[in-house]
Amino acid sequence: MPPQNRILDRGDDDEVCPVCKSSRYLNPDMRFLINPECYHKMCESCVDRIFSGGPANCPVAGCHKTLRKNRFRKQTFEDINVEREVDIRRRVMQILNRREEEFDSKRAWDDFLEQREEIIANLVTGTDVSKTESDLQAYASENVRSIRANQALEAQEATSFQEQQTLEQEQARLRRQAARQEYEDERREILAGREDVISRLASGKPTDAATIAREGQKILLKKSSARRSEEERIRQKQAALRNSDAKKAGAPVATTERAGDTGLIKGLKKIKTPEPEKPYDPFMGMVPNKRDYYTLRDHYPSGYLDPIRQDTRMQAGGYDVREYYSRTLLEAFAGLGCFVDEEVSKRDASTALGLSRPATEGAAMAAVTSSGLNDEKI
Amino acid sequence: MIEDDIYRTSSQFRIWSFTEDSLKQLRATTNTIASERVRAALRRAREARQSAAPSAAGTPTANQSGSEADGKGPGERIIECLTPEEEQELVRYYCEKTVELGETYKPPMPTIVRATAIQYLRRFYLTNSPMTYHPKSIMACALFLATKTDNYYMSLRQFAAGIPGDTTQEDVIAPEFLIMQSLRFTFDVRHPFRGLEGGIMELQAISQGLGQPSPLQPQQTPEDLRRGLSSIPPAPNASSSQSLNDRLARAHHTTREILKSAAQMTDAYFLYTPSQIWLSAFFLADKPLAEFYLDTKIGGPLSSLRTKLLTTLTNCSNLLSAYKPLSTDPEQMKTLRRIAKKLYHCQNPEKANIAGQKRIPAAAMSSGAATAAGTPVAGGGSGESGAESEMERLAKKRKLEGGGSSGTKADDMFGGELVTQRNKQQGPTSHPEAG
Repeated sequence: MPPQNRILDRGDDDEVCPVCKSSRYLNPDMRFLINPECYHKMCESCVDRIFSGGPANCPVAGCHKTLRKNRFRKQTFEDINVEREVDIRRRVMQILNRREEEFDSKRAWDDFLEQREEIIANLVTGTDVSKTESDLQAYASENVRSIRANQALEAQEATSFQEQQTLEQEQARLRRQAARQEYEDERREILAGREDVISRLASGKPTDAATIAREGQKILLKKSSARRSEEERIRQKQAALRNSDAKKAGAPVATTERAGDTGLIKGLKKIKTPEPEKPYDPFMGMVPNKRDYYTLRDHYPSGYLDPIRQDTRMQAGGYDVREYYSRTLLEAFAGLGCFVDEEVSKRDASTALGLSRPATEGAAMAAVTSSGLNDEKI
Repeated sequence: MIEDDIYRTSSQFRIWSFTEDSLKQLRATTNTIASERVRAALRRAREARQSAAPSAAGTPTANQSGSEADGKGPGERIIECLTPEEEQELVRYYCEKTVELGETYKPPMPTIVRATAIQYLRRFYLTNSPMTYHPKSIMACALFLATKTDNYYMSLRQFAAGIPGDTTQEDVIAPEFLIMQSLRFTFDVRHPFRGLEGGIMELQAISQGLGQPSPLQPQQTPEDLRRGLSSIPPAPNASSSQSLNDRLARAHHTTREILKSAAQMTDAYFLYTPSQIWLSAFFLADKPLAEFYLDTKIGGPLSSLRTKLLTTLTNCSNLLSAYKPLSTDPEQMKTLRRIAKKLYHCQNPEKANIAGQKRIPAAAMSSGAATAAGTPVAGGGSGESGAESEMERLAKKRKLEGGGSSGTKADDMFGGELVTQRNKQQGPTSHPEAG
């Protein structure tokens, strides 16, 4: 429960440890620690003294929480409530670490965010704590894998972001360096050109002075323009490089791990496990030689077929009487269940709608067939 | 059922299966178009005849004056055309003739070849009228085509020699392409004969205790089946003392006879599937046996299919039993003679010479005869105006034919689609049985 003694936090000088009552005035090196179990503040020496021998009860009166030494840490925020809320938030966020890609729609994602905030608020303000906690625990135990996967993803993203940052810094440094180098080169060239002109002026005739000066100017201009085009080229190359890098970094990280059918979070995408590929079926599900009306035998007694079975002249050519059996029996039943009057009239009606027939004739046919159907019903 | 799906892929089901109404409708349409064409052709012929006389007298505008005279002329009388029913009678007569023609060969042609020819003839006359093409000329060609598609080789010379009368080889093959086109190049005819053999074969196996249970009723045992077969009541019209094998053989024979005659001469092939046809014929031959066989196949869980199938089979067997052979029925022969006489008057004169239409020079001649005021041109007559005019005329003729056929395409049920809808031709199939 939030401690009531935060007024004492004010004024660094006369801060007093609530446990041993020693103040900063006497002990300037005193550091205060808290335990996220109850957030009661106490000085380092008290922690050492009380909890070195293993877990013990909180020394603050009325607080019976059992604390461990290793959980004590330094306070980050001045306000102990903020500290606590941040802790709770961190814990909840670690459990409910779903990502936006995992949701069906934006709406579901927003609902999830709201729900998470609600859970945090519940835990902070202390409403329905036990129920919320148990929900959270149940969810965590059910979705261990997805939680872990998302954590890994987050870590990966963080590191890749960092890498990106350092890369960019490095590039900026290189660019700056190149620019400086360039500037230096340019200056050096101008100076060299100038010296060259002066030396030529010195050695040349006075009448040529104007032409030499003009030539020197021209050479300078030419050089600078050449350099500029070179620069342009390099810059373009760098830009292209940067773009490709950005693309590489921006490639979406595919999340394949999906889990959790707990009732806590709604709107999650269904897990799509790809169907294992079936063996290739050339007959599209049809069983060859499967028949519905009869079962074929290997031999049928028949007065005039039996001699053929024995006749080598027949068999030499590859003729098999079984072909005949299967063919006759198939023809005996092929179309037994086709009712021509029904199926053809249906077909006529459908072709009458099509373009194959002239409209009037099709209509006439349809009328005839439909009237025929009516007659049959009567 | 897989077997049914296999049948549904056949051209017989896809193109040549009809409901009773659509069949009737189709025949009526064909008849109307053909009658119109016959009337128009006869009118043209009369105009040509009338104008021929003045043109001989030297009037330059012969055609126009002729048509005017014809328009005014009181001699125009309504040409009586055949009705669809009469056409059907006629076609049936020629179907029977096909059977007889098949018999005349030595050895007689297999049943299946004749049956195929009959089906070709019947299919041909669904979209063509006997008024346009006389069945006599089509019949022989259909039979010849069937020998080829059914793998029963016979040379054309041999075939033509077997036909009574002075039919030449050219006469036989002249309408061949026409027939193939009207068949939409689907030569596959699914006959019920082989199905019957299969059924009888299986029944014999059952009678010897070798029956296999149907896949849909795996609880059947061979012994059950055998006992069931031996305990079925005897057929009402047979003597009770016959053995099971005799009974099967008798039923087989009767069914086969029905399939050879009634199934061919009626519309059964158009209205039912081959397996339904042979089972209906089997019902007519030996009802208890057929019922037993059907029950072994579709009893139990398929009872709804069974009742539906039984109605269809009953309809089919009614159709089959309604058939009376022409030769035994003088009444029918009398009507047939009347129809033949009527047909003589309403035969389309422009289509009479099929052989002439096939080859282009001859066709050009005949078209020249039709367009140039009907003056009969002798074989070498066109040579006078030189090769150029001959070429010109051929081109004109081709154009004319094209126009005519496009008109035909608009009217004909099947004409227009031939180009776009490529029906796979089902090649001739081989038959292990030669019955």
